[in-house]
Amino acid sequence: MSARTPDGPPLFLRLLARWLVRGPEAPFVRADLEELMARDRERGMSARRAGSRYARNLLGSAISTWRAGLRTPRFPGGSWLDVRLGFRMLVKYPALTLVGGLAMAFAVWVGAGSFEFLTQNLHPSLPLPEGHRVVGIRVWDAAEGGPEERIAHEFGIWRGELESVGELGAFRTLERNLLLGEGHGQPVQVAEMTASGFRVARVPPILGRYLNDADERVGAPAVVVLGHETWRMHFGGDPTVIGRAVRLGDSRRTVVGVMPEDFAFPVAHDAWMPLRADVLEHEPRGGPPIRVFGRLAPGTSRTEAQSEVTAVGRRLAAELGESHEHLRPQVLPYARSIMDVSGEVTLSLGAINLFFLMLLVLVCGNIALLLFARAATREGEIVVRSALGASRGRILTQLFIEAVVLLGAAAAVGLSAASLALEWWLGVAEIEAGGRLPFWFDAALSPSTVLYTGLLTVVGAVIAGVVPALKLTGRGVEGPLRQAAAGAGGLRFGGVWTAVIVAQVAVTVAFPVFAFVMRREVVQIRSFDVGFPAEEYLSARIDLDRESASGPSADSSQAAHLTRVGAAYRELEQRLEAEPAVAGVTFSERLPGTYHPQGWLEVEDGPAPGDDSGLRPKASLVSVDADYFDVLGAPILSGRGFHPGDLGSEPRPVIVNQSFVNDVLGGQSPVGRRVRFARPPEAEPGPWYEIVGAVRDLGMISGDLYGAGLYRPAAAGETTALHLAVHMRGDPASFAPRLRALATTVDPGLRLHEILPLDEVGITMWLESQFIFRLLIIVSSIALLLSLAGIYSAMSFAVSRRTREIGVRVALGADARRVAAAIFRRPLTQVAAGIAVGGTLTAALILALSGGAVSARGFAMVAAYLTLMVGVCLLACIVPTRRALSLEPTEALRAEG
Amino acid sequence: MAYLGEFEQLVLFSVLHLGVAAYGVAIRELIEERTGRAVSSGAIYTTLGRLEERGLVTARVGEPTPGPGRPRKFYALEPAGARALMDAYETMQAMAGGLVPRLAKLAER
Repeated sequence: MSARTPDGPPLFLRLLARWLVRGPEAPFVRADLEELMARDRERGMSARRAGSRYARNLLGSAISTWRAGLRTPRFPGGSWLDVRLGFRMLVKYPALTLVGGLAMAFAVWVGAGSFEFLTQNLHPSLPLPEGHRVVGIRVWDAAEGGPEERIAHEFGIWRGELESVGELGAFRTLERNLLLGEGHGQPVQVAEMTASGFRVARVPPILGRYLNDADERVGAPAVVVLGHETWRMHFGGDPTVIGRAVRLGDSRRTVVGVMPEDFAFPVAHDAWMPLRADVLEHEPRGGPPIRVFGRLAPGTSRTEAQSEVTAVGRRLAAELGESHEHLRPQVLPYARSIMDVSGEVTLSLGAINLFFLMLLVLVCGNIALLLFARAATREGEIVVRSALGASRGRILTQLFIEAVVLLGAAAAVGLSAASLALEWWLGVAEIEAGGRLPFWFDAALSPSTVLYTGLLTVVGAVIAGVVPALKLTGRGVEGPLRQAAAGAGGLRFGGVWTAVIVAQVAVTVAFPVFAFVMRREVVQIRSFDVGFPAEEYLSARIDLDRESASGPSADSSQAAHLTRVGAAYRELEQRLEAEPAVAGVTFSERLPGTYHPQGWLEVEDGPAPGDDSGLRPKASLVSVDADYFDVLGAPILSGRGFHPGDLGSEPRPVIVNQSFVNDVLGGQSPVGRRVRFARPPEAEPGPWYEIVGAVRDLGMISGDLYGAGLYRPAAAGETTALHLAVHMRGDPASFAPRLRALATTVDPGLRLHEILPLDEVGITMWLESQFIFRLLIIVSSIALLLSLAGIYSAMSFAVSRRTREIGVRVALGADARRVAAAIFRRPLTQVAAGIAVGGTLTAALILALSGGAVSARGFAMVAAYLTLMVGVCLLACIVPTRRALSLEPTEALRAEG
Repeated sequence: MAYLGEFEQLVLFSVLHLGVAAYGVAIRELIEERTGRAVSSGAIYTTLGRLEERGLVTARVGEPTPGPGRPRKFYALEPAGARALMDAYETMQAMAGGLVPRLAKLAER
């Protein structure tokens, strides 16, 4: 989203330079700043570091030019005096500074954080030279509703014909064990990429060279380019690494280059090897799945490139007929071509952002109330300034700048907090993804977010500074001057302010409900019992190199691959069982404590499948080793366990869990019942399974935490995913290196991922919930405190403005209680209206989120909270009223407000 | 005699070193390379502007660079500037004369 010149600074910094560096020498200073940054990038410095050097140089240059008196930046119509006045106001009204500043910092934190989240997910900017010109080309299969990735044939044609895309590249991702000498392997993400890919990225290596076209030829020496992290971790950053041999899976390769830090193009890759020419020579809709990308030719747009590939696509459809009839080639922004965020997600992200934006408006309303109160107390000063000849614009500018000073300082604090939150979120996302995130995710806030915050600050300053000032200065001078001279303030909170207070109270009531609901979910996940001592088990996901690195056809058969996986697992199992520290070894398709997707189920002699799909039961199906329950120490509650003869027998035997017995069979005996899966109602149903036994719930997490599930026996290699669970006699974590070493001796291509004690496996789900929970708790608490402080100040102020009126009434003999009741009526009506609106929202939220089930404790907490709010409002009225009532009428008449 | 500050001397020496190629970026890099001091581009231009006003250097705007087309301003040392720099250097030498060994000894303590 941020426009950059090639290797140049982001747009935000360039704009800042334009504003800060002024005077006759400014164009030369700015040109030098840009040239120095370009030189830094040429020397291989990362964009972030070069940008930081640019910013330092810019700051130094701005200070130098100011000091030399070349020119000082000026505000239109304002002056540095206004800024100084603004700072003086911060000190003079410390409570307002604290409450208003915190409110703004909080709003910016939440608003900028969510904006950054949205930007990085939906419109990321590629940290590559002229990254916005890099595009992805994919082929969309309109009939299947998904991308067709077997596009080697199209790639060949595009490479020869496209003129709007200057350089075109392709890649596929392979996972390989990286082995040095005889040590054990570590899985790395390898991009098998055309050499042109590096020319598209335009990032030079820091050592050696990157791939060239000659490396792609069949029979060319096998080479590899290492990523910075791989080089640092596996070679200790050895500068003489070029020419060294490494083993990547089953092939030996020579290191020819090392890429700079942060370079992980095309997605999140640790090493690069050439995508050989023979891999790409395929018939239409044949060959391995690949992804294609390119850099737009100078002067052409993505629309022009789209027209060109559409024309090629139409021609191919005409030539090849049916197979290409539904294929639609698309030219997309690069990140979107890799990580296509669905419309639904876009919508919900947009909704989240809108929610935070509304929160910001409310916070600004809160600050506006406070600033309005402050401006009202300065009414005399403002009126006198007007009388002395200050124009309305001049006074508006002064109050605007005062608001900018307050909000700007707060925005800086909010941005720092947003930056920390972003880092935290990326950390959680990385854990959840089980590896690195795509290279365009960046822990630094993007310039567009900083600009967005700047914009929010200005909008906030208009709401909080200009609106009250307009009201103050909009009544001419004479009337207020007379009132000011007589010592009486003429300002009252009108309809807009009433609406702001009502909205503020409503939101303050509704916010904590989110936190109550989230808290319950997190507690449930934390206390989730997987049904066996998971801390005694070590788990890992097992994978085996699918394609041989030496060619595409050596091991392309799926059956042969699965046979290899099965054999490798059995050998690993034998070796593990021979270890004295190991008590048992088993496998399953999914690990306990992780999410298990569910499918529609049909029970024989149960409700017939038909239109009532909403009422049909759902359950998860997991393939497990025959000795799975023995190794987990889970007793069979009824029926029998699996035995080796169950593999391949008909009807297929399954064992169900307790939730299945309770939820699907209504507590009836499961043994002997038959079930089958029927995914969409109109699809052909799956085979029948016969239930032979039942076990307790063993950590099948689905929509309702404890999900109904079936286990079927399988052989290693038959399942789509293979997870190992090793029952240890000692500490599981300390056995991890030994497990890796054993796996390498079985097969160098056998990769172990996510080696973790089994009780830590589900932790990412918990982390994510915890993240959202913490965020909501913090957001709610701060919103609550700020709102209460704002409401208190506004009410207290409004009542104190009526001191004079109270004095007159008391002087005329009115009863003190009746005066107090009259004074309280308006603020209490506002609060009651706010509570009514907020209460309705709360009730709706509780019903939507918890299905109407509210505990007595929860109800009591909400009631106590509402009482507290009314108490705060009463207190805000009582204190100034009591003070006014205790004054002598003559003193009250002299009072200003 | 025109008085020169320390930074002004550094800038004038750089202009002398670089000859016809004396412009902001080159001067900055030379100072950084020889003294290890990172100075801002703004500081260089304000100093050169001051020296230009005093008639110690002259400036000419060169052709924009190829590619992005950034403007460059080249500086040349005037005889008055050369004299001022020579004076400053001689003053420093006169004051430092014979003191360097003592200075080195003191610095070692």
